[in-house]
Amino acid sequence: MTTAGQVLYARSRALPATLVALAGTAAFAVWAAARLDSYLDPDRRVPVVALAPLLAAAVIGVSLSSPSDELDRTAVRPWWPRRLAQLAGLTALAAVLLPVAVLGHPETFGPPAMIRNTLGCTGVTAAAAALLGARLSWLPAFGYVSAVYLGSAGAHGSAVTVWAWPVQPGAQPGAWAAALGAFAVGGALFVVRGARAEGPRG
Amino acid sequence: MTGLRVRHRRTVALDSVDLALGTGVHGLLGPNGAGKTSLIRVLATVAGPSAGRVELLGRDTAEHRALGEVRGRLGYLPQEFGYYPGFTVREFVSYVAWLKEMPAARTPAAVERAVARVGLADRADRKIRTLSGGMVRRVGIAQAIVNAPEVLLLDEPTAGLDPEQRVEFRELLRELGASATVVVSTHLVEDVAAACTEVTLLDSGRVAYRGTPDTLTALGETSDGPGDHPIERGYTAALRAHRATEVLR
Repeated sequence: MTTAGQVLYARSRALPATLVALAGTAAFAVWAAARLDSYLDPDRRVPVVALAPLLAAAVIGVSLSSPSDELDRTAVRPWWPRRLAQLAGLTALAAVLLPVAVLGHPETFGPPAMIRNTLGCTGVTAAAAALLGARLSWLPAFGYVSAVYLGSAGAHGSAVTVWAWPVQPGAQPGAWAAALGAFAVGGALFVVRGARAEGPRG
Repeated sequence: MTGLRVRHRRTVALDSVDLALGTGVHGLLGPNGAGKTSLIRVLATVAGPSAGRVELLGRDTAEHRALGEVRGRLGYLPQEFGYYPGFTVREFVSYVAWLKEMPAARTPAAVERAVARVGLADRADRKIRTLSGGMVRRVGIAQAIVNAPEVLLLDEPTAGLDPEQRVEFRELLRELGASATVVVSTHLVEDVAAACTEVTLLDSGRVAYRGTPDTLTALGETSDGPGDHPIERGYTAALRAHRATEVLR
């Protein structure tokens, strides 16, 4: 029953559908990156490096929901190990699949930047799941990355490398610090609190 | 529970509630917003009180270490239990048994027994999303009893059940109440009259009346308040008497 229980838990979190969606996101990223002619200029990869992790984070965020939250709260089992395994496992999978779209040029917009953005976007999404609920967890990351993508082009100063982390080259330490910080804080919030309850409650 | 107080943001859902519930079927009655669901959720350990003490099965629920043991010995049917649409009846009840950490060897038989007790044995392999509302409610009851709970908390369990199913459910309640503490929140006074051994009436977060279905019926027989049956008149009379007392305070 333990194995069967783990399988039921995975299905309760729609993990099979989430895995398919992550694979589809990675395939889409590979397809999009191949059309950018990035061998001419690696900077052309910025849209894929910024947006593909956002899509993957949205997929992961939605999977953090529990339709039966009220019953889950009466579980004898502690939830944090399962939440941690789910978040870490899906993030690791996305961090392995997405960089395939942008192989090479690690110092600019290659695999390191893709991994960093996957961690950062997933962290923001996990925090949103804990604070807003899983269904809308994609929204803050979507708003933030979109704003940075549109607004950071003319920005100057050392702080830009931190707040504009989704569009920074892979070798930028400030961007890594911001993304890792977002993942640590967001991940910890979700693992400890779980996704915020949604829907009607009597 | 003693001195129980529950707040939802700025509103007080329960205030100064002192209750001791033993083996039997306890009906929780009261108008909308009286605090019935808040009381059930506190007893189910999914919500915490802002003041007061709750002891379940001899353990203080404020002690974190006691929660696991208590949760393994209670069953809970929320008003909205939010099933997983892709699960079959058997899978959903098995999943809850797994959440309760029931021994793996005992689980399949316990699941079959719980599903059979709510009359869904012939639909155990049907997806829950294909069932009618009344059947989904019975799935909810099956998951609540799968671990043979010593404390069973049911919030509006008969909502969506047809008359025949309600009669069968009352019979099940009487069976369960013979060995467990069953708390049933309902708006249906006739369910309380038929199945409960004790009645607690809540109003505006306070206990307005405690007694048995017989004493509530007797109150209605001497009352000329609204209601088609004596127990309904008793319900109304008890509420009005409580509200008159509250006004005088």
